[in-house]
Amino acid sequence: MGNRVLLELRNLTTVFPARRGEVRAVDGVQLTLTEGEIVGIVGESGCGKSTALLSIMRLVRPPGRIAGGRVLFRGRDLRSLPDSEMRAVRGKEIAMIFQDPLSTLNPAFPVGEQIRESLRLHHIVPGPGLPWPLDRARRHGEKERVLAVMKEVGIPSPMDRYAAYPHQFSGGMQQRALIAIGLVCGPALLLADEPTTALDVTIQAQILDLMRHINKEHGTAIMLVTHDLGLAAEFCSRIAVMYAGRIVEQGTVDQVVDNPQHPYTQGLLDCRPRISMRQLRVQPIPGNVPDLATLPAGCAFAPRCAYRQAVCEDGPVPMVAVEADHLSRCLLHNQFQRKAQWDWLDSVGVES
Amino acid sequence: MKAVKILERLLAALPLTFGVAIVVFFFIRLTPGDPVDIMMGQGGAVSEGEMQQLRQEFHLDEPLLAQLGLFLGDAVRGDLGYSYILKRPVTTLISERLPATIELAAGALLISLVIAFPVGILSAVRQNSLADRMSMAAAFLGISMPGFWLGIILILLFSVRLNLLPVQGRIGVDAHLQQITGFFVIDSLLTGNRIALASSLRHLVLPSITLGAPVAAVVARVLRSSMLETLRSDYVILARSKGAPESIVVLKHALRNALISTVTVVGLQVGILLGGNMIIETVFSWPGLGRMVVDAIFNRDFPLIQGSVMVYALTFVVANLIVDVLYTYLNPRISL
Amino acid sequence: MEIAPEALTPFQRQRYLWRLRLRLLRRNSLDFVRQLGAHPLPLLSGIVIVVYLLAAILAPQITAHDPTRGNLRLRLDPPAWEEGGGWSYPLGTDSQGRDLLTRIIYGARVSLLVGLLSVGISVIIGLLTGTLAGYFRGRFDSLISRFADLLLAFPFLIFAIGVMAFLGPGFANLVLALTFKGWVEFFRLVRGEMLAEKTQEYVEAARATGQSHLAIITSEILPNIIQSVFVLGTLRMGYMIIMEASLSFLGLGIPPRIPAWGSMVAEGRDYMLVAWWVSTFPGLAIVVLVLAINLFGEGLRDILDPRLKIEA
Repeated sequence: MGNRVLLELRNLTTVFPARRGEVRAVDGVQLTLTEGEIVGIVGESGCGKSTALLSIMRLVRPPGRIAGGRVLFRGRDLRSLPDSEMRAVRGKEIAMIFQDPLSTLNPAFPVGEQIRESLRLHHIVPGPGLPWPLDRARRHGEKERVLAVMKEVGIPSPMDRYAAYPHQFSGGMQQRALIAIGLVCGPALLLADEPTTALDVTIQAQILDLMRHINKEHGTAIMLVTHDLGLAAEFCSRIAVMYAGRIVEQGTVDQVVDNPQHPYTQGLLDCRPRISMRQLRVQPIPGNVPDLATLPAGCAFAPRCAYRQAVCEDGPVPMVAVEADHLSRCLLHNQFQRKAQWDWLDSVGVES
Repeated sequence: MKAVKILERLLAALPLTFGVAIVVFFFIRLTPGDPVDIMMGQGGAVSEGEMQQLRQEFHLDEPLLAQLGLFLGDAVRGDLGYSYILKRPVTTLISERLPATIELAAGALLISLVIAFPVGILSAVRQNSLADRMSMAAAFLGISMPGFWLGIILILLFSVRLNLLPVQGRIGVDAHLQQITGFFVIDSLLTGNRIALASSLRHLVLPSITLGAPVAAVVARVLRSSMLETLRSDYVILARSKGAPESIVVLKHALRNALISTVTVVGLQVGILLGGNMIIETVFSWPGLGRMVVDAIFNRDFPLIQGSVMVYALTFVVANLIVDVLYTYLNPRISL
Repeated sequence: MEIAPEALTPFQRQRYLWRLRLRLLRRNSLDFVRQLGAHPLPLLSGIVIVVYLLAAILAPQITAHDPTRGNLRLRLDPPAWEEGGGWSYPLGTDSQGRDLLTRIIYGARVSLLVGLLSVGISVIIGLLTGTLAGYFRGRFDSLISRFADLLLAFPFLIFAIGVMAFLGPGFANLVLALTFKGWVEFFRLVRGEMLAEKTQEYVEAARATGQSHLAIITSEILPNIIQSVFVLGTLRMGYMIIMEASLSFLGLGIPPRIPAWGSMVAEGRDYMLVAWWVSTFPGLAIVVLVLAINLFGEGLRDILDPRLKIEA
């Protein structure tokens, strides 16, 4: 554990061909994850956060492709691995949990067998590689391990549930099964793509508890993708906010949530309904998620931004360190301290 | 549990078969044309008295309901009557002809699946590739081509021009096959008759291809489109994220689910195989049930038509049952 | 700005709706023609179909030979490019010395007419029953749906053979036999669309403005499903032509004296070993026509109604 870097995304860029040119779904993403850390990627749907996860696994659906950058996992660039070595990484060292467990589990196979498949693919349980009817000893060992994992993720009476089919599980149980599939080979990194979005609120909490438990117990690092900044704040130690394929702000939870720097992060925090507040008014961000095919040359958020200036649309905006480990992609930081800037804007009467 | 349900369904098929037989019974008797006239038309001059005697012999002079009663009473005891024209028991005629028809249908199904599966899967995996376009064009041709013409073209090409395969029939005259089951391929294996085996297989090739071509075309198309669907599904991504190689992703995860909809379509093809066999058996002079039914229709051979139709109905029901069982086996969300 | 239809008198409203509809039709057909330009295959098959239609209609003008009477001295003459052939009989002659090309051209009449009639009648029956069943539901729906399911359980060819064995060969009988089962698919399509469209808001809106059922069906719903029916009709047409040819091949279709492709192939089968052309060319005529119709139908579906799950 400690501070050893587990995963480092350097300038990761994933593109999809569109009618005019290419759409950059993931655009120069830089992100680092240390061993055992939980990092959240937050953004609206369509901002490229799920594509970023798939890019790490090299599972972007064609015609989409990774166009540039590096994915360093324990120092190895996953992008340059041959297919067979990449397959050895998938599921064994990096596992993935998906959003919709019902459509993600294969409806034609028993849940237990689907968990076991990962073990078999990576030869986790040692034994002679005998063909199917003759491999009883090995199958037995694998089943033992599957049952243990099922128990750990909280599937009651795993013995009976081993041969059950996905449609016989409830939504929460399906997600637990999915987590079991991810967990069974003991990966160092879990990529979770909106793992609780399809679930009831109470089940959501259970699943998050389970993931926290896994993180503590096995030291598994987790990269959580969600549209829910509150959830990320509760669950992660660091947060990256994505907008239109780019990370616009990243830092520790305290930094991002208590001291948001980017106007978009501000907006996300404002549009979160909070019961504790006296005033229940939710402040939506004006405008819509931009069309990735027709992004402006400058800041992608500029058209929706209350602090927009002419320079914002001129060219790419760089990430700026506003404090230690706290980065934001906004021109406001370049010239003044943020506070002073906003006060100034207020004094000259910029419409907000 | 499952076995009981299957047996139940099988037993339920029997009344249905009889129902079909009764409908057919009335239909063919309402059809204009007297069988005795047709029979005698072939034989030459016969006196009115002799014709009357024949009518009596076949109970054709009795009221319709009495005829039906006689027919059903016999049928329950496994007696489907005598053929007017061939002058032999219908059950004997059918059991003589049935193996030929089954052998042909099995050959056709085998060939069509052997072609359709690789083609359908590869076309889906390599969507829009040259191979995909070519095979889908071929499949399109397959569904646009009448079977009888394909058969004749194949004969012209492989039998007449290239002289590679026999024109018609089930087996060469020089094979001297001792018949045991009536399935010539099986019989030649049982008796170790290599000449007969080669001959019967060679005779099977063209009719099987002809009968199987439209089935192969339809199955390949359906398999391709359902594979395209399953290959886009989330569980395929999950399988890849587990580190499964493409062969397992395609042949296990995607194919298994694509089979669910394909099996239903294969089941519907049984109808095509049954209907097609009448035509293909005519083209290749294949001595099977289909050829016999067509002849019986022309000859107004009532008992033979009735009996054969019952066999067809039963086959159809059983085939559908097999498809249902396969379907429930493949799709755990459905129970029989 | 458009005028709100509710503010109009019923007559004005109808006129307004028809104008909208015509505009839509014109735009759609323009779209269609433009799209055809981008899809050469449906366009090409459309041309092939037109050629067949013209040949069938103008048969006596195109060919000087008699399709039914031949010259026995010229029997089984090979096609023009083979040794012994001549250009007066471009595709050769049959066993009775009749010009094969002439008979194929006349045969197009039978196939196209049977195809058009059986599909046309099936469409009419399907539209009527499907509308009644889908729109009004009730006992009629359950009764006719049950009957349709029953018919659907029979394999088409066996069913048609059975009906033809019962009725005997003949043009009208053939159309009857094909229609007897052919209407079911149109019924199911129309009924399904009716059920779906009926719950749409525009139908409820029309109901609320006090339109009669008939008016709603003819002016609101039918225009929306007619494209699907048209696509299915095109695709079924090729199938009907194959069915007709198959029945004629067995001798259960068109009486032998009328030239039909199926019976021509059957006749040629007897001379397969000496005269390959006699059954090859009529069959080729079927394949090319059916292929063109199916390609056209699928092109039509892709352009008009891509969500439609109809296959040839």
